[in-house]
Amino acid sequence: MEAICCPTSITQVRNSKGFSGNHMSGRTIQLVAIGAVVVGMTTGMLVAETHKEYRFNVGPKAGLSVNNPYGSISVKPSPGNIIIINAVIASDKVEVDNNLVGNRVEIQSHLFAGADAQSGRVDYEILAPADASVTLHSSSGTLHAEKLHGDVTLEGAGATVDVRDISNAHVHVKTLNGAVTLTNVQDGHVEIDSLSGTVTLNSVTGPLVQVISTSGGINYTGDFGDRGEYRLTSHSGDIEAIVPDSTSADVSARSVRGEVHDDIHLQPNPHPSFALTDGRAFWGTMGRAAVSSTVVLRSFSGKIHLRKRAAKP
Amino acid sequence: MTCVELEQSLAEVENGSRPEQQVHLKNCPKCAALVEELLVIAGAACELRAAHEPSPRVWNSIEIALRQEGLIRPQPPRHSLLPSFGSQWAWARWLAPVAAALLIAVGIYVRQHSNSANFAHNDVGPAVAQPVADLEIAGLNDDDLLQEIAQQSPALQAEYTDHLRRANEYIQDAKAVVAADPNDEDARRSLMEAYQQKAMLFELALDRSLP
Repeated sequence: MEAICCPTSITQVRNSKGFSGNHMSGRTIQLVAIGAVVVGMTTGMLVAETHKEYRFNVGPKAGLSVNNPYGSISVKPSPGNIIIINAVIASDKVEVDNNLVGNRVEIQSHLFAGADAQSGRVDYEILAPADASVTLHSSSGTLHAEKLHGDVTLEGAGATVDVRDISNAHVHVKTLNGAVTLTNVQDGHVEIDSLSGTVTLNSVTGPLVQVISTSGGINYTGDFGDRGEYRLTSHSGDIEAIVPDSTSADVSARSVRGEVHDDIHLQPNPHPSFALTDGRAFWGTMGRAAVSSTVVLRSFSGKIHLRKRAAKP
Repeated sequence: MTCVELEQSLAEVENGSRPEQQVHLKNCPKCAALVEELLVIAGAACELRAAHEPSPRVWNSIEIALRQEGLIRPQPPRHSLLPSFGSQWAWARWLAPVAAALLIAVGIYVRQHSNSANFAHNDVGPAVAQPVADLEIAGLNDDDLLQEIAQQSPALQAEYTDHLRRANEYIQDAKAVVAADPNDEDARRSLMEAYQQKAMLFELALDRSLP
């Protein structure tokens, strides 16, 4: 393992503004003083910022766990069985603790007394083997994972989550109010829980795709794959599913107090298990029933809208 | 010499150099592998003796691990509504079992509700749902959570109060639908999901990522 430190240059900051003139008014002096304080504070922060790199040789199906109270974490695939962690550390109020335990790398941003969201911030850019199991925690930063096919677990109260180009993996996400976006997740076992964050799924398919939200909206764009179970549930958030003509799915939608709309012709289910109150529920099959997925859309007071994707010009 | 006798003899001569040990090891690959591993460990132990004193960072890591395990307490215990929990967020470690207990309890509650309804359906008169207080089935107290948030992260209190309110509304709505039609499997699942949301709120509010 090696660590590299390189304090950020402050030259540009200092040279970005020049001050000139022999006769300065009182107001000008005030502005100069304020500017100097701002530049000084900025400079101080930049001086304290450090970059560190950690490298770990790991075996197949390695584990990676990162717990970062303040700051972003991004994980992308590495070329081999190696985990490379680049950390940008905001100040000496925080340090990066790292451990290699068996085939698992554990990273913890360790806050010291007095650290806050600025001084305790660490931003991680990580390269990990594509088959690694990745667990990321951050309470406020962005969590990003892409091009992996190991299990991915992302959690954080206010974290914004962005997952893309994942295949054959479990993807578990928990947020309170952070937005969650999944793009191009194939053959995934996807479980997303968010209290109020908007959940957006683009081309997400798999044997199980489940989203539970209390007040956040849920947007699904894709074809629901084949023979999967898709369950999108909210309490008060709206649910919208936009599907292409080629979609095959058995779709049931139900909102206790909200409106339910579908712009697509469905073959009605002759034996629904709940009352199909007009404007509050529908249940039917689109496309070829033999290869259809099961789609369950549920809300209590949110609107549910199933619509056809507009044809590309 | 049997495998058991060989293992016992290793306590005296750990490298398997005695003649009777050698005879057994030639014919028993399992024991041969065991002795080989013991020799590797013994060799590594010798190297460890020559190692440098661990850096302060190592001790720091050990301290963090011990703190996470709850074996040491860096700060004196402070006031808490849960007196058995020492450090300021240590009781968050109880959340996983509490959340699991919550979901199990809700599952039992829902199942009992369902069974009583089915029983009623089978000609024995109307089902009488036994209302169970949220606190009884959940074991999670909103006031405890908000008090901890107020002490640890006052700026987040309003936000968490709002989250709690919404989660509780979700639960109440889901319970109302189950009560209206206890045979509605879908509604029972929604009730489980509503409790799951509340459990997640507690978990995320108190997990180690919360500053």
